[in-house]
Amino acid sequence: MTTIRIDRLRRSYGTVRAVDDISLTVGHGELFTLLGPSGCGKTTLLRMIAGFNEVESGDIWFGEERIDLLPAHKRNIGMVFQNYAIFPNMTVEANVAYGLRARKVPPADIGARVAQALARVRLQDYGPRRPHELSGGQLQRVAIARALVVEPAVLLFDEPLSNLDAQLRVEMRVEIRQLQQSLGITAIYVTHDQEEALAISDRIAVLRSGKVEQVGAPEEIYHQPQTAFVAEFLGGTNMLRGVAGPYDGTRTEVMVGGVRMFAQGRVAPAGSPLMLSIRPELLSLSKEPHGIQLEARLQLREFLGPIQRLHTALPDGTPLRVSALSGQALPAGIGDMLCLSYDPAQIIVFPSTS
Amino acid sequence: MKSFRTVVTYTALALLGLFLLYPLSLVLAASLRVNGTGAFTLANYASIFASPYYLHSLGNSLTAGGMATLLAALIGIPLAFCLARIDIPGKTALLTLAALPLVLPSFVGAYALVLLFGHAGVVTSAMRGIGIPVGSIYGLPGIVLVFAFTLYPYVLMPTFAGFRAVDVSVEEAGRNLGGSRWYVFRTVLLPVVSPAILAGALLVFIEALENFGVPSVLAEDRPFLAVDIFKLFAGEADSDPASAGVLSVLLIASTALILLLQRYYLSRRRFSTNARSSPPMLPLSRGWRGAAAAFSWGVVLISLLPFAAVLFISFMKFRGPVLSWQFDIDNYALLLSGSYAPLYNTFILASVAAVVTIVLGAPIGYIVTRQRGSTATALDLVVMIPFVVSGTVLGIGLIIAFNSGFLVLTGGWLIIVIAYVVRKLPFGVRSASAIVHQIDPSLEEASINLGVSPFRTFVGLTVPLMASGLVGGLVLIWITAASELSSTIVLYTSRWSTMAVRLYQLLEGTGAGAATAAASILILFTGIPLLLVHRRLRRQDDALL
Repeated sequence: MTTIRIDRLRRSYGTVRAVDDISLTVGHGELFTLLGPSGCGKTTLLRMIAGFNEVESGDIWFGEERIDLLPAHKRNIGMVFQNYAIFPNMTVEANVAYGLRARKVPPADIGARVAQALARVRLQDYGPRRPHELSGGQLQRVAIARALVVEPAVLLFDEPLSNLDAQLRVEMRVEIRQLQQSLGITAIYVTHDQEEALAISDRIAVLRSGKVEQVGAPEEIYHQPQTAFVAEFLGGTNMLRGVAGPYDGTRTEVMVGGVRMFAQGRVAPAGSPLMLSIRPELLSLSKEPHGIQLEARLQLREFLGPIQRLHTALPDGTPLRVSALSGQALPAGIGDMLCLSYDPAQIIVFPSTS
Repeated sequence: MKSFRTVVTYTALALLGLFLLYPLSLVLAASLRVNGTGAFTLANYASIFASPYYLHSLGNSLTAGGMATLLAALIGIPLAFCLARIDIPGKTALLTLAALPLVLPSFVGAYALVLLFGHAGVVTSAMRGIGIPVGSIYGLPGIVLVFAFTLYPYVLMPTFAGFRAVDVSVEEAGRNLGGSRWYVFRTVLLPVVSPAILAGALLVFIEALENFGVPSVLAEDRPFLAVDIFKLFAGEADSDPASAGVLSVLLIASTALILLLQRYYLSRRRFSTNARSSPPMLPLSRGWRGAAAAFSWGVVLISLLPFAAVLFISFMKFRGPVLSWQFDIDNYALLLSGSYAPLYNTFILASVAAVVTIVLGAPIGYIVTRQRGSTATALDLVVMIPFVVSGTVLGIGLIIAFNSGFLVLTGGWLIIVIAYVVRKLPFGVRSASAIVHQIDPSLEEASINLGVSPFRTFVGLTVPLMASGLVGGLVLIWITAASELSSTIVLYTSRWSTMAVRLYQLLEGTGAGAATAAASILILFTGIPLLLVHRRLRRQDDALL
């Protein structure tokens, strides 16, 4: 049973706080993702757990054991590096056996455990090969086998898929997820790719400037972002600046870009400035005016395969993106007005940032 | 990690403190004391600056250095461009040969010039025989020529790398915007490689300023700083450590000043172009290509021919100083008839020094590359100090420091090895650090993560990964140590004389034949190891700088 508890962890570089008083708890068997743009501190935090970056203050616990005071080679953590870090001077087998030898596992057992680990990542016949003979995806699997074979308490992934091409990336993330679930191992995964994070995680922590913006399950993070940053970082929302109007008992009127919109509940006192987030796929095309909707002028259509993205503009020119299935016929041509309907309950309001 | 880092850092600082900084401080102290009484004084400086002879010496050294630098740049820049951008037959061989003069002993080059064009030179005599007078090569002209033709690779190699690294699209953009080839070369290519040119040129200047062997062979009685320091210190009748100290301080100050200027200039000018592939060869007419090939091969052959000539002549028969064209190995017999000791000593001293330098240099190079922080920076700085200290000055410092007192080393072999190790350490560290740069740090992190301690990771993973590169460094250090004259000439005893010292002695005497044999042995000591490892060395070019 390994739960990870991170308590008020801090690390500064000069005046910049790369990790700024972060506290998190990761449950046993959970795949927990640290998500954020470059420079948000996610890699620094991961490397602090691994023992490669020094902890300035705060502590890290695996279950009842405090590990941040241990040297990196005594922490019993498996780590998969961004560039795989496969030792170029050793065969695949020797790479996988490396950690077992370091732990003084009896040589008789090493062979069987290496073979089992390689089989688990579907590389059973690759033991005698040299790293330069392997493809990126295969190297990635060797790295995973090498990290798993020592039966670590915790598995760390540092952007493991960023060097693979798009299709392999999707395949590998499914493999990683299945492997992690079948072993029931606690894992922390670092990525800047929001789709990857949503697809693979039990829970996600969105990081920004060394602080945690929000922690939650993928659906929760996506549908109920607690800050404008989270809303924008996950899946590119329309973030519109508006001013609150009167509250009619169920909805608040908001003036946005020259049109009147509605948000569910009493979101702000009348007259206060606010930010309003509506995801492009929650705006739907309607042929004629009915219900709650708004009008925007169609400026450009992008065909993206399964969906089409419509770039429209509100009356004052504010851009508004709309996603629709590409099979759907457009009721208007370029330059014409589109009627867009939406559910006020799906509009999220944030306090104005400026 | 910390304990390993600490042990390496403090061991290195302690050794360099004892064998570099302490001796140098004694040289400085000597310059500030009255000879004999030891009272503090500035009079030594005043008397040097009042002496026309020593001002002349300083002036000569600076002039020779400046002119050699200019000439080396005039040779190196066009050669670099030809090799980088023009399709020249035999280019691979040319590139290998062009780097050779850097490791061939320059004073052997100077000797070759004397042997061919000196007062009694082979070519001089022949020309005189048919009535054509040959101008004197002694003094500035000969010294500048030898420096330029042995040191031009310092300009060539970084400039060549610079021309190869220029992103061709930058050049195409210049042409697309309406610039002629020459205009684009002048306004884009040359400025982009200028930091590399400058970096190399200043190394030429420093080397030329510090060099003892070349002026000692070619200066005759003209004053040169490096030679005068030696004479003032080791002179039988007129030993004057105080004045030797003053000149040493002036020499170190000039080289340090130049190195600092170079660092300052380079730190503010770094053009990185992200060339994915090397720029294409220029589409030149047959004639122009022929001219470029003739120039390139010409320069390289001129720089190597004197060495080849020495090798050849060493197998000819000498009657006294007079050469006759008969094949013979008497010269070698004569050279080795006294004793094999110099040959044997050269081999032993260079080997011990090379191994120790690499064993010390590899961990230091690792630390200064991988670690950040003030101790690593301090280490990096101290390790580079030997660059600005000439061998003669270091030798003098070591003698003052270890002639008496708590540690007596003079007269033995150890002090010579120490001098070599200190002299070659910057190269050992640079060469190790260049290799470490190519090893991804995450490899070591993966090893530590898998449960191997940092020290065992260094020994078990990093060192094997560095090994093939370190062999190249080891060989280059061995070569330069085997032909080291400037510190050996101060430190040797008759028991521990080396081949370079033998050659120096033979030049003073009349043994022309034996001298050619000694020079040839030094050339072979350079050439044979290089041939053995030349493939590995291609990757080491950067470390030389």
